[in-house]
Amino acid sequence: MHHEILLGDEAVARGAIDAGLSCAYAYPGTPSTEIFETIDGYAKANHLPIHGLWSTNEKVALEEAVGVSYAGKRALVSMKHVGLNVAADPFMNVAVAGAHGGLVVAVADDPSMHSSQNEQDSRYFADFAQVPCLEPSNQQECYDFTRDAFELSERLGVPVLLRLVTRLAHSRAKVSLGDRRPQNETKYCPDPALYTLIPVNARKAYAKLLDKQAALREWSEGHVANTLTLAGQGKPGIVVSGLGFNYLAEALGPKLAEYNLLRIGAYPIPVKKMRSLIDASSELTFVEEGYPFIEKYVSALGLFREKPLHGRLTGALPRWGELSPDVLKTTFGIPAAPSLQLAGLDQVLVPRPPRLCDACPHGDAYSALKEVMAELGPGTRVMGDIGCYALGYLPPHQAIHSCLCMGSSIGMAIGAAHAGIKPSMCVIGDGTFTHSGMQPLLDAAHADINIKVFILDNSIVAMTGGQPTMATDEQVVNLVAGLGVKREHIRVITPVPQKQKENVAVIREELAYEGLSVIIARRACVTFAKTIKELERARKAVHP
Amino acid sequence: MNFDLVLAGVGGQGVLSMAYVIDNAAVDAGFHIKQPEVHGMAQRGGAISAYVRMSHGEVASDIIPEGTAKAVLSVEPLEALRYTKLLAPDGWVVTDVTPLVNMAGYPNPSALFEVLFRLPRLVAVDATKLALKAGAMKAQNMVVVGAASAHLPVTREQLEAHVAGLFEKKGERLVKANLAAFRMGVAAGAMTDDLVKRGVPQAIAARVVPRLDFGPDKVPDVVVAAWAERLVRPDGAKVAAQLFHSRDVLALDASIPGTLK
Repeated sequence: MHHEILLGDEAVARGAIDAGLSCAYAYPGTPSTEIFETIDGYAKANHLPIHGLWSTNEKVALEEAVGVSYAGKRALVSMKHVGLNVAADPFMNVAVAGAHGGLVVAVADDPSMHSSQNEQDSRYFADFAQVPCLEPSNQQECYDFTRDAFELSERLGVPVLLRLVTRLAHSRAKVSLGDRRPQNETKYCPDPALYTLIPVNARKAYAKLLDKQAALREWSEGHVANTLTLAGQGKPGIVVSGLGFNYLAEALGPKLAEYNLLRIGAYPIPVKKMRSLIDASSELTFVEEGYPFIEKYVSALGLFREKPLHGRLTGALPRWGELSPDVLKTTFGIPAAPSLQLAGLDQVLVPRPPRLCDACPHGDAYSALKEVMAELGPGTRVMGDIGCYALGYLPPHQAIHSCLCMGSSIGMAIGAAHAGIKPSMCVIGDGTFTHSGMQPLLDAAHADINIKVFILDNSIVAMTGGQPTMATDEQVVNLVAGLGVKREHIRVITPVPQKQKENVAVIREELAYEGLSVIIARRACVTFAKTIKELERARKAVHP
Repeated sequence: MNFDLVLAGVGGQGVLSMAYVIDNAAVDAGFHIKQPEVHGMAQRGGAISAYVRMSHGEVASDIIPEGTAKAVLSVEPLEALRYTKLLAPDGWVVTDVTPLVNMAGYPNPSALFEVLFRLPRLVAVDATKLALKAGAMKAQNMVVVGAASAHLPVTREQLEAHVAGLFEKKGERLVKANLAAFRMGVAAGAMTDDLVKRGVPQAIAARVVPRLDFGPDKVPDVVVAAWAERLVRPDGAKVAAQLFHSRDVLALDASIPGTLK
């Protein structure tokens, strides 16, 4: 047993390693990225036989992990909350198939959308799939619950969802680490029918999943994270989950002891404990970091009138956004502490938004694009995508006009073209292209749809801190050609200020062509130049 | 005992390295800590922050409640002002005075500094210049940690051990430069405190200290006394304002009364 200062993400990684992890897969996404980075870094530094990949997307990552589980070993797959949408298909189905080797899906939610498009709550996905969910409330629990999740996964034969939130994933504290369990032996799951979900098998497997629910409820009732503390009959009650407890303890201090309290960190919801809390309490307040998940269940959408209920649905807490001690002080009528007041502060305190780095290749790509857009007239729009280049929406660029989800730009451009927009243009990065942009480009090539696709190839997944891209340079050209785009309409430009004129000329030529064009703006990211060189060497070692 | 601290700056300025040094020093000093950080999009030149919460008991919340932070340490003056809502009314701000202007709409520097120098407890340093002098342009963060060290609940030795530890893998030159930067910060912070003890108003001390050429050693009492004597005169505020505005760096012994313009 020893101690280290770890991020929540790092504690999950170390918990997995100490649980006898054999393989890890992930797609980078804030705030989950450090989980795989830590596993990969620690395994390499300590020469541990742990395999793994930055996968091409979250769906693939989970499928790889399912393969590990099928072969009897323990696997962790990590992603951000919206990544689980991409992986939803294997996630829902592996819930039915079950786990052989321990299978843990670590998902980092982002309440308040610090770096995401939405703040969806992954507890709904666990509930939807009818698999257990563990929600640590501190870094030590990140470590302990990850180990616990693997045990549970193998004991009951289910995948387990481990739900983190930004404020825990990206917060450090001292963590006690235990002994390392050896890895499992490689051994196929005894019955391949479980993973062969043709209807005849699926019905049996689904019945098995339903049969496991009783054991899951029993596990949840007894879990150390689900504790009921009764202050007395007729006292007000609080249901608090995950990180909400920390803010509650901070906001209420010793007053918290005057409430009946049910802490929840393991799901399904412990129904018996909830019943005891309701019976003992005069009223209930729900404190949840994320959606009002428990509140909705218990209040039956507000139809339940047995006791007065307060929460995000009733306006007692904000309907959305991250909780904090000050939010809960407002809920419980406790004034905030006086803070330093500074005359004139409002006049000078302006926000500092993120921006493209100096000499960023995307900036030069956008300059060329903007010049052409100006020629096309006011109101010209370009579909955008997810990555650093999404900052192209903001001044001074204002060159893109959408950012929906990974890989969406090309499909949206196809739709806009069908709706009568001409020219229909879109921008996507190399990482996002291989994540989920290739399929819509295949659609466009298949039907030769008149759209203009700009692939900004900067040789790295930059936004999340410099993870390897699946394809760059000529690999991108070959992929695009392989999908069926005509070679003469795959144009490669170098986005630098001194080539602006010729780059604009290339774009004009392709705009004049009635059909599918792909313009690849190829220049390596300046911020991760060193990493890109290392990755290039690694790639050449694999593909000489 | 609780001590909440906010670390602030712009992506790339080494805010997380400051957190590393203070976290580890705090654990050595026997504190429980929680240290959240906000990055993600911020690594693209946006505002970045970290909190360090230290307590002799367990720390509950990762987030600092309003009005409870004891200090803000910032590597940039505009960012120093972003977290005043978290500061207790008697909280400290320790900041580099070098604006990082990477966006349209950055406030006019004179308006910015006017507000900054109204802070009741302020240590201002030109960490950027001192870091250059120490031999590592990026060591401005360690200058700020040094300048704040007297106001932190850990010892200077505990901090220095982790400044050295952080740069160990990057070689002896960077260890030395960052320790020198840290010590120059310590000297600048101590000079500010000593001037105030000798009756120099905080706002005057904070304008003068960024324009002095600190070394890694404590400024001799006789030099501090001479500066204090000059700055408590009726025109002290004017002298300080001119000096800050000039952006000249004066040798410490330029303090002989009467030699200032």
